[in-house]
Amino acid sequence: MPGELTAPGPRPAVLVYRHPAAPASVLRQVCAGVEEEGVPTDVTDVPGPDDATALAHAAAGESRLGVGIGLDAAGAAAVHHGTLPEQAPVLTTPAQALPSDWRRVGRVAARVVKHLPLV
Amino acid sequence: MTTVDPGRSPARLVVGVDIGNSTTEACLASIGPDGSITYLATDLTRTTGVKGTPDNTAGALTAVRGALERAGRRVGEVHTVLLNEATPVISGLAMETITETIITESTMIGHNPATPGGEGLGVGTTVPVGALPEQAPGQPVVCVVPAGADFDDVAAAVNAAVRRGVDVVAAVLAGDDAVLVTNRLDRPIPVVDEVAAVERVPLGMLAAVEVAAPGRTIRTLSNSYGLATVFELDPAQTRQVSPVARALTGNRSAVVVRTPTGDVTDRRIPVGELVLRGAGKTLRVDVDAGAEAIMDTVARVQPLDDAHGEPGTHVGGMLAQVRDTMADVMDVAGQPDVPVSEIAIRDVLAVDTFVPAEVRGGLAGEVALENAVALAAMVRTSRSRMQLVADLVSEQLGAAAEIGGVEGEMAVGGALTTPGVDRPVAVLDLGGGSTDAALLTREGECTAVHVAGAGELVTKLIDSELALDDRETAESVKRFPLAKVESFFHVRHEDGTVQFSDQPLPPHVFARVVVLTPDGPAPVPTWHGLDHVRRVRREAKRRVFVVNALRALRQVAPGANLRALDFVVLLGGSALDFEIPDLIADALAPHGVVCGTGNVLGTEGPRNAVASGLVRAHAAVLAEGARCPAS
Repeated sequence: MPGELTAPGPRPAVLVYRHPAAPASVLRQVCAGVEEEGVPTDVTDVPGPDDATALAHAAAGESRLGVGIGLDAAGAAAVHHGTLPEQAPVLTTPAQALPSDWRRVGRVAARVVKHLPLV
Repeated sequence: MTTVDPGRSPARLVVGVDIGNSTTEACLASIGPDGSITYLATDLTRTTGVKGTPDNTAGALTAVRGALERAGRRVGEVHTVLLNEATPVISGLAMETITETIITESTMIGHNPATPGGEGLGVGTTVPVGALPEQAPGQPVVCVVPAGADFDDVAAAVNAAVRRGVDVVAAVLAGDDAVLVTNRLDRPIPVVDEVAAVERVPLGMLAAVEVAAPGRTIRTLSNSYGLATVFELDPAQTRQVSPVARALTGNRSAVVVRTPTGDVTDRRIPVGELVLRGAGKTLRVDVDAGAEAIMDTVARVQPLDDAHGEPGTHVGGMLAQVRDTMADVMDVAGQPDVPVSEIAIRDVLAVDTFVPAEVRGGLAGEVALENAVALAAMVRTSRSRMQLVADLVSEQLGAAAEIGGVEGEMAVGGALTTPGVDRPVAVLDLGGGSTDAALLTREGECTAVHVAGAGELVTKLIDSELALDDRETAESVKRFPLAKVESFFHVRHEDGTVQFSDQPLPPHVFARVVVLTPDGPAPVPTWHGLDHVRRVRREAKRRVFVVNALRALRQVAPGANLRALDFVVLLGGSALDFEIPDLIADALAPHGVVCGTGNVLGTEGPRNAVASGLVRAHAAVLAEGARCPAS
């Protein structure tokens, strides 16, 4: 079968690395933002660094699409792309952001994948 | 060329200064007693203040001092400063839409949300999502969801209703949730989202919702007979809804709600007549007829004495506004105001254009492209506005200051210093407000004309056709090439060349059409692709500069025959543009004319023509004076 000629590996997706204490409401809106754009997500709990940008950078490095999202314990979020230096994320939002901002985090991540303007 | 006869009076140091709308240029030269010229240095600075006002003095002095510094000369050595007589024209612009799309009842939603949900066509009665639990089973319904509703709650409500036997066939949402809702439904339906004014969707009415598959456009609601089938319309009603079908053509999703009096009208606004007087006749032309008809009429009344608009109509208002603006500009301190009635419009350029305008009565900020006519008008002024500047320059430098020659004639003189140019030569000065042409015949006779419309009109056309609503952005779209940012590290230029950059590009330009300004890429706020923006830019330049180049050259050419022109030299700021000279050269090529951008003094490009022309003219006068007493 042709499908078996390539190694299975993880499916292409935007990887979301979240601190285990990250608020569920933030995660829900972030994932909804990606889903509305029609791009898959995989969420992983990453204990250890409590820094959204560092988590996003690590996720982007692992993602087969090259795009990652990081959520820290307080609810701050970041979007990263595998080609960008760690200190230059695509987007960050503070912990006290609105649900529409969290939705935008997901949308921007998906639009980096789809090569569409980041609105 | 350098001749200083030690036996006669020594060489004079003169500076030609050309104060333009945007730049002030200086040309420093030493003139021998026999009129021989040695060019020493040139300089260029921004014009201070409005051209022809005393504020220009500061810029003129900066340019003079800059040229002196480059040549290593002192201010005290300057014998005479030569200033240009300002081109005696002022131009104004106006634009008016001549069509308008109005939805008299809220009957359609024709916007294109980025991500609608599901696909297919659903026809049913509109019901708010909150009323779904009370809805009796059987009848097909279209669910209307207000702003702020959560996608999980909406999906749950629809699923519950469907389980009870309610036939939910489609949904219309305020938020950007269509895909999220569709993904959570047991039975897929078409969903249209991002409907800002969802509260104005009439309830209890028959509605049709259509979403096409990705990459496709809707088929039923954009077809008049499709609408007739869905809503069971008779032929008279079908005729009525055909504008709806037309307005929805090309969309990926649409909603049409049938209300008893619903109607979309596409009506033409009476714009009024333009009354043109000249060549002993008075002709009237309907502005509705478009740019071509207007320009044909303008050509028949050459030379134009004045133009008026029918009072109480749009065109009347447009021309009145141009006249008022010009009266303000022409006011010179210390002189009586110019009465508006004395301002005669001496040329008009009409350009067909389109303006994206929000559809009145639309529910989601729908935009329709409306036809419009842009008018550039030009008036002549008899007032010399440069004398005050000359007096101030003279006072500050301690040198004589003269106003020398008509700008057009001076420009021809400067253009003649371009290598490879000979008489008869025509120059085209591509400016901001007007396009000027001047012809110097083999015998040394000079004629000059000014026609309305130039760089500022191009900017205005770009601004409105791309719906930028920002003059600065439109100006940079006009001046710099475009590119598409394809990743964080590379851009594709408009010619297809791909360029990699070491530093990541900022996220706000990612995947955007950008203008490559000297300060880096700047996004063009439009949803259109690069090709569309490029086409709008080139068409705007062609409709203004190519049209005006031909119009102005025909007016100076012997017998209005372009073939009679040998050399055409392009000058002025717009001659530095990266494509305007090519567009004009292409248009002139069939007439066998040598056309190119000037290179004044062999070094200055299309700049400094007037300033160096002033020096040449002054030298010729001195030479004449030197010969006469001797003979």
